Amino acid sequence: MSGTYGLYVVRQTGIHRLHPLTKLVYVLVCLLIGWLIPGVWSPYIVLLIGVVPVALIARVLPEVIKNTIKTAIPFAISLIIVQGLFWTGGTIVRQLGPFSLKAEGLLFAIRGTGRIILAVSGFLLLNYTTRSDELMLALSQKGLPNSISYVVLSTLQVIPRFQRKANTILDAQRSRGLETEGSYLIRMRALMPLVVPLLLGSIVDIEERAIALEVRAFSREGAKTSLLVLHDTRFQRAIRWLLMLGAMAVIGWRFYLWLAPRLA
Amino acid sequence: MERLKRDFSTISLAMIPIAIAINIAVGQIVKALRLPLYLDSIGTVFVGAVAGPWVGALTGLLSNIIWAIIFGDVTNTVPYAPVAAAIGFLAGVFSKYGWFKVWWKAVLGGAITGVVASLLSAPITFYLFGGVVGTGMDIITAAFRSQGMSMLAANFLQGLATDPLDKAISFLIVYLILRALPDRYIDRFSRAEDVR
Repeated sequence: MSGTYGLYVVRQTGIHRLHPLTKLVYVLVCLLIGWLIPGVWSPYIVLLIGVVPVALIARVLPEVIKNTIKTAIPFAISLIIVQGLFWTGGTIVRQLGPFSLKAEGLLFAIRGTGRIILAVSGFLLLNYTTRSDELMLALSQKGLPNSISYVVLSTLQVIPRFQRKANTILDAQRSRGLETEGSYLIRMRALMPLVVPLLLGSIVDIEERAIALEVRAFSREGAKTSLLVLHDTRFQRAIRWLLMLGAMAVIGWRFYLWLAPRLA
Repeated sequence: MERLKRDFSTISLAMIPIAIAINIAVGQIVKALRLPLYLDSIGTVFVGAVAGPWVGALTGLLSNIIWAIIFGDVTNTVPYAPVAAAIGFLAGVFSKYGWFKVWWKAVLGGAITGVVASLLSAPITFYLFGGVVGTGMDIITAAFRSQGMSMLAANFLQGLATDPLDKAISFLIVYLILRALPDRYIDRFSRAEDVR
């Protein structure tokens, strides 16, 4: 984590240089297609065709794989247990003591895991290759209020400081003899002496931050100039439109698939 | 409209980043203490209480999105952003009726918010993730499922097992913080008269 830019990984690649909205639209369309097209393996196919090659070109594939696995494995385990073992009815593939593994539940678990892998890896790809300040600027230029960009970006700046603060308070209270290990009751009792100083200290800071903003004409109406300049090309704009048209076609087709048997 | 403009004052906008950072930092402390709670919406509840339902809802919404950006996990964050928004919104509504002035009303408001939160999360867990959240909580879902309960009902009960208690404690902590803060600081917020 590099503070201001979220998960951004600095690399000199064409993907990193693309306009933030191009990457945002691309990832969203990949997600939509993978989730909407019926079939157990469709999320995996979109992953292999849509996400993996782009991550490879952007030289962030190892990071994407590592962190996707970290999130997806607990989901996969839960899905196999909850859906595979407790599927009502269904064909039994294997008896495991008092439980039985059902084919339908397993297929459901495979598809669910694929959807999660696709969502997590697509999101990571966007975050590793796009600076959050550039993304927020791009969204502001499309009509997102400036105050929202301010809130998002300044939160990203504040959080590392807060995490340090939380650790400092934890150390300080422990060195004064606060028990933070032991039975449930002991740990519960440690909660307030840790939470209250953090909260009071930071709430008192709010006013100062507000004054600092006002002094810099934060609430002034009218256009604002940004130090960042985003590069967009006509080609990228065309690509974005094509992607969005494609997504709408998939939504329409999926809706037709859902509607047709109900009308017949 | 006039009211809304006052709610979204500079001080409210300066408060939202702090509130989101509080959500994340307290969530971390709870994890360090290995407590079976989340307490990851204390900041959101605080904003709802002192700046009204709409600022509270915005804080919850952004909190979950930023959580995803910081930790790189979209699964348990972005899809539940509407739930987080509802928590901030409800905190604002309860505050409007003075429920943050009496400790047991704050606890009750938190518990009600927890029930609403589990009602809203169950369909998200069910339709998006096939009924699991990828944590130890799934054991509860599996247990209800093995009793022949529908997946959606099992998800709702899994939420009920944790959310009302978690939100009741969060609301109580916000109540205590409001009592501990000098009036001078509370007066800066747009809904100060509701909590003082």
